[in-house]
Amino acid sequence: MSSFNDIKPPLLNDEIGSLHPINQVKDFLLNVLKGFGFNEVDGPEIESERFNFDMLNIKKSHPARQMHDTFYIQNKSNVLRTHTSPVQIRSMLNTNPPLAFTSAGKVYRKDDDATHLPMFHQVEGIYLDKSVNFAQLKDLIHKIIYEIFGKEVQIRFRPSYFPFTEPSAEVDILSENGKWLEILGCGIVNPIVIENCNIDSSKYKGLAFGLGVERIAMLKHEVNDIRDFYKSNLDFLNQFK
Amino acid sequence: MKVAYKHLVSHIPSKPGIFDISEKFFQLGHEHEIINGDIYDIELTPNRGDCLSIKGLLRDLAVFYEVNPDFEIYKNDLNPLKINFTNKAPNACPHISFCKIDLEGDIEPYKGELKNYFDDMEVNKINFFTDISNYISYETGQPTHCYDARKIKNNLSLDISSLEHEFETLIDKKIKLSGENLVFVEKDGTVINLAGIMGSMNTSCTSDTKSVIIECAYFNPEIIIGKSVKYDINSDAAYKFERGVDPLCHEKVLRRFIKIVNDHSKIKNIEIFKKDYSDFKPNSIPLDETRLNDILGTSLSKNQLREYLLKLGFDIRDSFALTPSYRSDIKTENDIAEEIARIIGYDNIQAQPLKIQKEAIVNYDSKHHEELIKNFLINNGFFEVISNPFVNSERENSIKIDNPLDSKRKYLRTDLQESLVESLLYNEKRQKDSVKLFEIAEVYYSSDGIKNNKKLGIICSGRLGRNYKDFSKKINQNYLIDMLKGLSNKINFKPLIISRDNLNSKIKSQIIYLEIELDDLKDHQLNHKFKNNKNLSRDNFLKYKQISNYPSSTRDLSFSIKDIDRYYELQNHILSFKHELLKEIFIFDFFVNKKNNEIKLGIRFIFQSKKSTITDQEVNKLMDKIIKSSLVIESVTIPGL
Repeated sequence: MSSFNDIKPPLLNDEIGSLHPINQVKDFLLNVLKGFGFNEVDGPEIESERFNFDMLNIKKSHPARQMHDTFYIQNKSNVLRTHTSPVQIRSMLNTNPPLAFTSAGKVYRKDDDATHLPMFHQVEGIYLDKSVNFAQLKDLIHKIIYEIFGKEVQIRFRPSYFPFTEPSAEVDILSENGKWLEILGCGIVNPIVIENCNIDSSKYKGLAFGLGVERIAMLKHEVNDIRDFYKSNLDFLNQFK
Repeated sequence: MKVAYKHLVSHIPSKPGIFDISEKFFQLGHEHEIINGDIYDIELTPNRGDCLSIKGLLRDLAVFYEVNPDFEIYKNDLNPLKINFTNKAPNACPHISFCKIDLEGDIEPYKGELKNYFDDMEVNKINFFTDISNYISYETGQPTHCYDARKIKNNLSLDISSLEHEFETLIDKKIKLSGENLVFVEKDGTVINLAGIMGSMNTSCTSDTKSVIIECAYFNPEIIIGKSVKYDINSDAAYKFERGVDPLCHEKVLRRFIKIVNDHSKIKNIEIFKKDYSDFKPNSIPLDETRLNDILGTSLSKNQLREYLLKLGFDIRDSFALTPSYRSDIKTENDIAEEIARIIGYDNIQAQPLKIQKEAIVNYDSKHHEELIKNFLINNGFFEVISNPFVNSERENSIKIDNPLDSKRKYLRTDLQESLVESLLYNEKRQKDSVKLFEIAEVYYSSDGIKNNKKLGIICSGRLGRNYKDFSKKINQNYLIDMLKGLSNKINFKPLIISRDNLNSKIKSQIIYLEIELDDLKDHQLNHKFKNNKNLSRDNFLKYKQISNYPSSTRDLSFSIKDIDRYYELQNHILSFKHELLKEIFIFDFFVNKKNNEIKLGIRFIFQSKKSTITDQEVNKLMDKIIKSSLVIESVTIPGL
């Protein structure tokens, strides 16, 4: 028979917390891209219209620049960045090609409903070099998607429109229920954008892509409601330990 | 844009199926769904205003099928219309036409394409001329506006006005024009049309209208954009003008309009006015196969490129591609490359291996400090949260949002406290008795320009932990100070107590809060021992289980065990108990009374249903089962039961 002196107290619960699931997925994506040679650069969330729009060939008439799509601050002097692309612009202005950057973080759009949030996260990448083409972009995108979803996944490229890339594409994967799901946008960097960054577009070409972190997190973790990520509910967060 | 399959396929002699065309639309970049069995609901990209019509879509489909994109038009000569019109804004409207039609007969029931449009698209009929105008927009992509000729004076001007006008739209909505607006005005200054958006009630057609003036214009997208949203007017015309229409289509469109009128009524007189204030010049883009192949990674011949572009309506002269008048979006070689890629099909371009050059790879600061702090806090039971930066309260240096989502979110936060308090209270309201949260975020403020810094906010309240050692201890300032010594014992952390007085909270636990600028920590050596416990990889994403929105119910049991060997048995038995309504079990009390040869074990059970509020009956039933099965174990009792 055991003695009272030998008694082992109950195991203490392993009370660790967790990194926010969106930051976990963001870090995962950045790690994937780091594996291909992309390193992260940082930039401000408040941007001038010049960096958020003009340098990216988003004309004054583009709907994205309207007050109903973009948050303007302090008498329209600046905007809350609508994408992380201006971070890449700032970096391109300070770096000679060849260059390979990722930018990641919060972005803001004037949306707030069941499927859109006014704040969400992007991870974007850009590669500039002397010989870069659409066929190589496809190769990179395939590899990125395989790293996220596995090699069995079916991928579809569709023409799309972004003022900063031309040609532009949206990429879908085939879900288990037979529906195509949009995963990312990408394209060949518009030479106008390259010239805007004081880089000779006759010598250098670029490819760029952008992923929505919430989208990937929802698909991989099977979260149906995007709003769940931002309720700070401990029952929710506790599942991502 | 919604378009009926049958309206498209009637112009394609080979009669491809609905899914064949659907596939081609995807290849061309026209994302869509098929609704109601035979309607394509297409989400066109903003650069493809030219496809917002049957005709536009047929032009794109012409790369795959032989199509007949032309519709019957009125071919007789037209008399000139004497209208006293002054265009004071030729840059905003470089091309405009008016056509006056007088009827002398009754209007017959709708037939042909007009009938099909209203039958198939389930569009409400308004009046004869407006109905034709709506159909013409659907068919050709060109909006037209119909004035009842009796209601306007023969003295009209188009101008950019900054005057504040009251304006009643033809859909009976009163708006007050402000800022710069392109408007049609009569001689006395009455605004009769907010150009490109919507006309006025006073001059609109009715079912009695027998004499109409049809306005057909090209408005510069810049002058139209944003106006329909500003005045909250749902306008198909504005949607099309914002995306750009064909500046050279007016005569064909008006002749088509006349043809449909003529098919339904006897026309007494037709007159037309057409004025171009500038010449249309197509964009001329070099057709250099080497450069185009370099962009795409293809090896297409010049002849192939020519063939593809001709199919899309381009004109090829010498070594230049001239854009058709409806493709104002094509300006550069890269645009041409995209057109070629669309025709080939993106999926048919063979991927080529890409290796990023080493010279392009630069290592940047990896946010080392931030990672150490996060790992430390996570290892101490804290959860990271991410909050919106929009707050209600204004601080001295707050940045104001010009166009907030609502009046409660009109400032950017200058600290993390408000958001973290909100998150803490949210969890307390959901019966969480121990809440430990942190957030790291940039905050922005105004101080001789816009400044920012990255802050760490830590908030905690309630029980220290959910185990027998910490359950009865409450979080206080010392807890946080002592804990943070584990991160660095050289920094003097000074957490605050946040008063609950204005928080609408009945809970008594202290709220402890600490906010630090990350820059203040960067020169300090931080503890490295806490590693990231988890790195996601492709195959270790946990599948989320839907959480309950219903309240939980808590029960505690205090066991006495006299036989030490049975203590382990009881512990294993209780902790391995599983039920879909049993959310959590933990030991909150453990005491060895050597004097009485007794072990006391306090166990908390938390029940919750995902379907409804759990009832006492359901909880009692489960507790009975737990109690009965526990008391079977020798020497185990529940004092007081």
